[in-house]
Amino acid sequence: MRGRRALHTSYASDQAPLNTPAKRLWFAALVVGLVLFPAFATNELTALFATAFIAAVGAIGLNVVTGYAGQVSLGHAFFLGVGAYTAAVLGGEPGRPVLGFGLDIWVWLPGAGLAAALIGLVVAPLAARLKGLYLAIVTLGLVFVGEHVFRETRFITGGVGTGRSAARLTFMGERFDRRTALGGLEVTREMKLYFLALVVLLILALLSHNLTRSAIGRAFAAVRDRDIAAEVMGVGLLRHKVIAFGVSSFYAGIAGALLATITGFIEPGTYNLLLSVQYLAMVLIGGVATLSGSLFGAGLVILLPRLVQELPRFVPFITGQSTGGLITTFQLQTLLYGVFIVVFVVLEPRGLFGLWVRVRNYWRAWPFSY
Amino acid sequence: MRVGKLWRLTAGFAAFVVVFAGCASEGGGGGGDIATDVGVTSEPCPGSDNQDRGCIYLGVLSDLTEGPFRALAVPLTEGQKAFWERVNSGDGIGGRYDVNITTYTRDNKYNPQEHVAKLREILPNVLALAQSLGTPMTIAGKDLMDENDLVAVPASWWSGWSFEDLVIESGHNYCFEAMNGLDWFAEEYAKPDAIMAVHYPGDYGGDSAAGVAKWAEANDVDFPSGNNVQTLPNAQAGNQDQAVGAILRVRPDVVVLATGPAEAAEIIGKTAAQGFEGRFVGAGPTYNPAVLQSEAAPAINSLYNFTGPWAPWGADTGAHKAMEEAVGDELPANEGFTSGWIWSYPMKALLEKAVADGELTRASLRENIDQITVDYEGALPRRNYSGDADNLAFRESVIGKPDEEAPLGSSLLRDFAVGPTARDHDFTEACQAV
Repeated sequence: MRGRRALHTSYASDQAPLNTPAKRLWFAALVVGLVLFPAFATNELTALFATAFIAAVGAIGLNVVTGYAGQVSLGHAFFLGVGAYTAAVLGGEPGRPVLGFGLDIWVWLPGAGLAAALIGLVVAPLAARLKGLYLAIVTLGLVFVGEHVFRETRFITGGVGTGRSAARLTFMGERFDRRTALGGLEVTREMKLYFLALVVLLILALLSHNLTRSAIGRAFAAVRDRDIAAEVMGVGLLRHKVIAFGVSSFYAGIAGALLATITGFIEPGTYNLLLSVQYLAMVLIGGVATLSGSLFGAGLVILLPRLVQELPRFVPFITGQSTGGLITTFQLQTLLYGVFIVVFVVLEPRGLFGLWVRVRNYWRAWPFSY
Repeated sequence: MRVGKLWRLTAGFAAFVVVFAGCASEGGGGGGDIATDVGVTSEPCPGSDNQDRGCIYLGVLSDLTEGPFRALAVPLTEGQKAFWERVNSGDGIGGRYDVNITTYTRDNKYNPQEHVAKLREILPNVLALAQSLGTPMTIAGKDLMDENDLVAVPASWWSGWSFEDLVIESGHNYCFEAMNGLDWFAEEYAKPDAIMAVHYPGDYGGDSAAGVAKWAEANDVDFPSGNNVQTLPNAQAGNQDQAVGAILRVRPDVVVLATGPAEAAEIIGKTAAQGFEGRFVGAGPTYNPAVLQSEAAPAINSLYNFTGPWAPWGADTGAHKAMEEAVGDELPANEGFTSGWIWSYPMKALLEKAVADGELTRASLRENIDQITVDYEGALPRRNYSGDADNLAFRESVIGKPDEEAPLGSSLLRDFAVGPTARDHDFTEACQAV
């Protein structure tokens, strides 16, 4: 209704993701900004933002299973690895010492997601019998099993310390990771990866947004908050835990496959506990059980090293060289990451999303905010 | 909500945006009569004293924080910095350019994936790589370097570099090093009946192990597969107990080590503690004098030697004297410094040739590699890169021993020499292929 923005007169308008003109306007502005960003940014920044978008996909997956459904999962790195190696095998260059079939992105990207999802569905029944810390340890075990498997299957992974190339970006037979000219504009590899990542993120974010607002999403919340009460009410625990793990692994598989293509080279040691912790950090720092939280968290964790690299320009005792000054940027990156996790968990449990909500509420009520 | 907190938040957000706006890329520039492309500017280097010279930007990809070689790699990078500072305070490159290696120094954490990621990051801004640390890392980046004609100085002694056209390597290789070490052992002690190789995966350790295998074959000594033990850095394996167990089971006369320094110290210490009396001959990167402060020190002092690519600190060569002059009173942490310095000579020769030819581009650097002659100021014999590997490859090694009294913790036991096995080896391919 005009003038009464919060009054909806149909289910469709109430349930639409962008149900007020303000939301539509700001979202359009955001999308336009993101689309224009590569034109003004360096290649390196564009690639970094592409990495952040893809990490956000992984973070959304982890948020679905840990934040919404309450199933603590330390095994995210394993699913990222499964996705990356499935994609590398399906899409990798044939004729190398490691296995590769040279298939299109249409095959390896969904294939990576599906392979990870299948394994997630197999693991899910364990969740039905375990909760909290015990589930965390079991999923941690998954990471170690994965590390061992990746280390031993050298014909797939190249082995520890050596690694292999990731899937190639071929679309309908054409490699789209080369520089091309479009009209008068030069489109670099990084720009193409950026747009691919943006499109994948928008689609998967919308899907997860709808999932969490649907009956299944509400069932997740019931399982998280009081699982016995949920079961009593008729919310199937096994069914919903399986769905949560399946969806989360699918997202992780897609994210793992795309992350590998950014650098183009993967080493099995990457998919370790630290990577799982990194994604948990994204979820915790960004905001548990919120979609925006996954985006903020992924953005911060991925962009943090780059921000820290710029610090020597402003702060005199930090140096970007290998020694000298009080602390090097390399040491500071490792340090800040841990500090952020502690600060957010202790001071702002709702994470960056919580901070954003405060800022937004302040400006919403301005000039009558207090 | 208190106003103060909000202002801090919005200020923080604004700073976030400003920092990104401040990220500018360094582009290429023309240098008048010298053709240039990427990584060369006509503006002077940041912080340079020579305002009339342009700047050549070289990248450094090294293990600066987390990997097994950080103790050696940080002084190595310092050694390179000191080398180029000396060049800059002299004539620079052809009097026209200074060299900057600090702006594009990145940490690869001794991980090939991280290395390729950082390489992609600095690729648009550098003319060449002043350092690319780690054999598996440099190999992982090879495709990207090949696509972009990026020449690199590898901080690695893989035998395969003699067959690659993009790298300007110096000194012996791990394969010959292992052979020379075993030949020296046979001469100094006795020809071993049982030998073992304990090494990292990939082409550092694998190359050394291949050298041991070739020595065994040439000298008719048994080297079964059980004596070829692969291990991992402690960051991945936790400890070296598996390797220690293997050594104690086989009880060889000599073990050839190709690991990191901490891992080597652990292996030597633990096996000696269990009564092992055989000796250890380590590749160059297995020694860091800091291990003499650990509990394994007595074992290391009595049982361990290492093969080295050049004479240690304090040797009587022009290069070593220049190094001592450059550091003054503040000694570097270890011999990594010497390596970084000596490794830089070929890049200097290459840049000078390119400037003299009037073409300072990536493609011309790549083409000029087989036209340069490198003068190491006495640290190594003069060399060039044209011709086949069998003739060109440098086969001599020095033998060193740990020495607490020496300024950087090691002293020379035997000067440059080539053992009979390495000398007679038919070098037509890398000892350990990728």
